[in-house]
This record gives sequence, structure tokens and C-alpha cells, in this order.
Amino acid sequence: MLLSFAIRKCCAKHCVQLAKNLNVRGLATSSSQLFGRRTSQRFVNQTRGAKTNRKKTQNQEDDWKQRNKTALTYIAAAGVGMIGLTYASVPLYRLYCQATGLGGTAIAGHDGELVETMKPVKDRVIKVTFNADTHASLQWNFRPQQSEIYVVPGETALAFYKARNPTDKPVIGISTYSIVPFDAGQYFNKIQCFCFEEQRLNPYEEVDMPVFFYIDPEFDEDPRMAWVDSITLSYTFFEAKDGQKLPLPGYS
Amino acid sequence: MSTAMNFGNKTFKPRPPDKGSFPLDHFGDCKSFKEKFMRCLSDNNFDNSLCRIQSKEYLECRMERQLMAKEPLEKLGFKDLMDQPQAQNKEANP
Repeated sequence: MLLSFAIRKCCAKHCVQLAKNLNVRGLATSSSQLFGRRTSQRFVNQTRGAKTNRKKTQNQEDDWKQRNKTALTYIAAAGVGMIGLTYASVPLYRLYCQATGLGGTAIAGHDGELVETMKPVKDRVIKVTFNADTHASLQWNFRPQQSEIYVVPGETALAFYKARNPTDKPVIGISTYSIVPFDAGQYFNKIQCFCFEEQRLNPYEEVDMPVFFYIDPEFDEDPRMAWVDSITLSYTFFEAKDGQKLPLPGYS
Repeated sequence: MSTAMNFGNKTFKPRPPDKGSFPLDHFGDCKSFKEKFMRCLSDNNFDNSLCRIQSKEYLECRMERQLMAKEPLEKLGFKDLMDQPQAQNKEANP
């Protein structure tokens, strides 16, 4: 439908042009016959200096072409730049998150020096409660040995979990943890624990599993944490198949 | 653990521990130290600040039995506990 419309338009234009030309010549011949004037010459060369006029339009056209070309180049460059920016935004955002610690990602610069030099904030007592879970298919008895512990930010603390294998076969478990409230997780640093690595329990064996952690002293200065006085550390054990390795979380 | 299909919300990203994982104490070598620590906790209403000496002893036991990488205790945040005995020694020796 569009195509036929276009064709019709095109034809109409041509027809009009043809008619115009015919009319011009027609008028010229008829009027010259009437008045006996030589008007045909004037009509053929519509205006004076046709050659220079043609050159001027040619220059104008060239100019426009040049400007169009530069505009197109700029637009193409902008398009390529946008595509490049989308590719670069992934590592850039990662860097930004690490620098600002948004969303609980690890803040770059967590090192052993901090543990050595940090000062405990004695007036901010936080209750850390412990939770232990196992996956349904894991038959261990896994539980914390203390229900809660009161710590202050900047002080290292020790806590114990106990796991028992009541079956008569060795079982390998692997664990992960989570922290509630979510935003406090970025201040909760574990120096050493028993997570993310396979732990093998022999039949009828019972072991103590320690967690050595501290809360970053900057916790006290974060306005979002002003109402937080209780953190829950929750461990969950899963059964690990032989040789399977949990991918270490994070970007390292 | 949160349920799956929370695509819009921020997910918790657990971080690996700084010094890795404790090897399991299969033979209960440091069980006595652990018992001391737990008793101290229950006596002091689970206040960690009052039981730091016991936790330091437990970690020292682990280090002796090859159940933990040996490290100076200052790096584990026990600097204040190390300074105290030194100060006492200095006072004792005129």
C-alpha cells in the first residue's frame, strides 16, 4: 500500500514537472506569436549568469556534503563510544562498589594491619546471636555452643559450633554463612572460621568448630547502623560430593 | 538463607575468611581450653571482653598443635593482652 502511494506521488511529481516544461515552452511560442517578441531566449536562460549560478549551487552542495560528513562522523563516534562505555561499565562499577562498599561488597583495604591497630569501641555493646542449619540431606547434628555473645566493635571474639556425625560413614560437609541485618554484613569480618572448605567428619565423630571474628570499629560511625544492636550469624552446612569445590564468593 | 528468585533485591554475598579455614580438631587436643573458655563465658553472662585471655589461650593451643598457622598474637587483636604482662614484668624488675 505504501509502495503504490509512493509510486503515485513520484508519478504526480514527474507529470507536474513535464507539464510545467511544456507550459513554459507553450507560453513562449504562443506569446511570441502574439507579440512577435523573442522571449524564447529569455525563457531558456531563466536568469542571467547561469554558469556562475550553477557553480554557486555546486559549492553550496559541496559545503552541505562536507557538513553532513562531519556530522555523520561525530554521530558514528558517539555510537562507538556508547558501546565501549557499556563494556567498560562492568569493571568500573565493580571498582566503585569496592571503593564505597555499597551493597555489602568487600571493602578494598581489609588487611591484617587493621586487626593489629584497631581500638575497641567500649561503649557500643553488640549482641551476636548464633544460628546453625543443615541441609535436609546432611545428617549431621550441627549446633552452636553458645546462644549469644556480647562483643564491642574493634575487639576480636571467639565462638564455637559443634558438629556430630551420627552415621557410620564418613561424611564431608561444606558450609556457608549469612548475616542479619544485611547491611551489617560489611562490618562483620571473620579472621578464621570453618566455612567454604570441605570438612570431613569420621563416623560417630564430634568436633568443635571455632569462629574467630571481629566487628569493624567503623560500625560505630555508620549512621545506618545506629539502631543495630544485635547481629545474627547463621551457618548452614551442606553435603559435599567428593572432589566438588564451592566457588569462593566475591570477585577474587 | 533467603529464598531463590529474589532477582531485584540485593543478595547477601558471603566473604571468605581473612586467614582461611580452621583445620578440624579431630582428636580434641584443645578441648580443655575450649571448655575453660565456655565456662568463663557462662560465668560472665557471655561477655566476650572478660574472656579474652581464655580465647587467647585456646588459639595458642591450636598454634602449638599445628591446627592453626603460627602468627604473632598482636596480629590477632590481642595486643592489649600482650602489653599487660610486659608492663608487669617491667614493674617486677627494677
